[in-house]
Amino acid sequence: MPALRMSRIVKRFGGILALDGVDFEVNPGEVMALVGDNGAGKSTLIKILAGAYQADAGTITLDGAPVEFKSPQDAWNRGIATIYQELALTGKMMIPDNIFLGRELKRRVFGVSFLDRRAMRERTKQLLSSLDVQVPSLDVWVELLSGGQRQGIAISRALNIDAELIVMDEPTAALAVAEVRKVLQFIRRLREQGKSVILISHNLQDVFAVSDRITVLRQGRRAGVRETRHTTPEEIIGLITWASTAEDDQETPFEGLGAA
Amino acid sequence: MAPVGAPDGFLAGPRRAVPREVILMVAIIAVGTLFATQSEFFLTERNLVTVLRNSVDLAVICAGMTLIIIMGGIDVSVGGILAVSAIFIGHSYKAGLPDEVVVPIGIGVATMLGALNGVIVAKARVPPIIATLGTMYVFIAVLFLVIGGTWIHGLPDTLSFLIRGEFVGIPAGVFIIGCVYGCCWVLLRWQAWGRHLCAIGCDEGSARLVGINIDRVKIQAYALTGALAGIAAVLYVARLRNVEVNIGTNIALEAIAATVLGGADIRGGTGSLIGALMGVIFIKLVQNGLVLIGVSSLWETVVIGGLLIIVLTLDALETRRSGRPT
Repeated sequence: MPALRMSRIVKRFGGILALDGVDFEVNPGEVMALVGDNGAGKSTLIKILAGAYQADAGTITLDGAPVEFKSPQDAWNRGIATIYQELALTGKMMIPDNIFLGRELKRRVFGVSFLDRRAMRERTKQLLSSLDVQVPSLDVWVELLSGGQRQGIAISRALNIDAELIVMDEPTAALAVAEVRKVLQFIRRLREQGKSVILISHNLQDVFAVSDRITVLRQGRRAGVRETRHTTPEEIIGLITWASTAEDDQETPFEGLGAA
Repeated sequence: MAPVGAPDGFLAGPRRAVPREVILMVAIIAVGTLFATQSEFFLTERNLVTVLRNSVDLAVICAGMTLIIIMGGIDVSVGGILAVSAIFIGHSYKAGLPDEVVVPIGIGVATMLGALNGVIVAKARVPPIIATLGTMYVFIAVLFLVIGGTWIHGLPDTLSFLIRGEFVGIPAGVFIIGCVYGCCWVLLRWQAWGRHLCAIGCDEGSARLVGINIDRVKIQAYALTGALAGIAAVLYVARLRNVEVNIGTNIALEAIAATVLGGADIRGGTGSLIGALMGVIFIKLVQNGLVLIGVSSLWETVVIGGLLIIVLTLDALETRRSGRPT
């Protein structure tokens, strides 16, 4: 049973058909890469999963049960954390403040609730060390950290809300080589912890380095799904461009369709 | 690696090589020394207590302004709120109401006016400087329509102890300022609300993504600033026992100047309560000292404006040198 199954997702923007009946699935503990050219529909699909957009048609099931995400909070509450390129970190705040933003730990003193800074710091240390994120100090503005460290903090925040599925939108774009290696390590760590990861990337080298399977979108349709071990960058590039046919789309069974 | 310094909130945070509080302390000592050599009266206890008494209302408003600027907003209408609140206080006294009723009326009216600012900013998405400029004009119009160019005077002196009182030899103003700044500091640093305030000032989009109710925080912050302007109105009436037509005209600009001098980033995200308080002290000392040494009070604005330009230039240079985007 797939952890996540999106079936026949359709999304229109005015007259433009952004997603034309896309199927997408992720198994528990799997790193699923999502690739495709600009405009192929990756962002739209992910924003529907994150609750930022609503699909015009199609269903989403989690462990077989149909779900509906009307807002980003809905998706978070169901354990799906999306880490956008801009990371949604607040630069001029410290690391624990960022990880717990909007979900602060509190303790009551004389009936008034105060922030429990010590507990948040302890939990932050745990989260950072479970991912092996290295920072000079917790009391540092996040904007002064490197891109890789900031990714680590954004992922830690997702782990802190017990996310089971973590969506990462171009996490390695604009990072130095050593930083890229670090972020790929984070993704492997997440898989070791049994989390599912959706990795959106233009960089096939990164995709082949960490993913278990690869879903290719082309012009709002699924062009194919491949196991990373049994495919080659050439084949994936072929699917992304026009070199291969889109027949995979037709042979996928739609068992999730009638679940509602 | 990155400079690691004081936790945010009370101090301005780890961004600057020299904390703004240190720069202000040097500036305060410098002008203090200058005035002390020019006027033997300047450093007397009596004069300094007078300066303190005259600073309390600005200091109280400045605490709210600091929170608003940290949130990335601004409130230029605090003088108008203070004025309208003072009118309500004056007329309530004239109607024979006792302190226990008058004070809540004054603070309540001011809180509602502040909340009105917040609603305009949050719900109508009017940029805060425009929204509060608009309400400022309305509040000033109310002031003139109601008191029509005359003073409300002869108000009772039952609240004078707030200004003139002492406790264990320490003027009452110290306790009022301590209370207000202590409460604001707890709000900013020890409450989730304060973290949300900072987050909105840093990056409103991010704050929205993590599920913070931005509109509510904004309305609450403006209402709190209104309430503090109401407290300032009570203190104003307690001190002068009248309501004049020019009440509150400069206080918004002084509060903004003090807050920015104190290390707040006008773009939001960071600010320092203790720095803002030191900014208030600096401004009030300059005003007082210039009068004592017989220099036209016009120079006061030159000194404050000059220091503002100097610290902001230093800031910009430091940002450029460290290569961080502004």
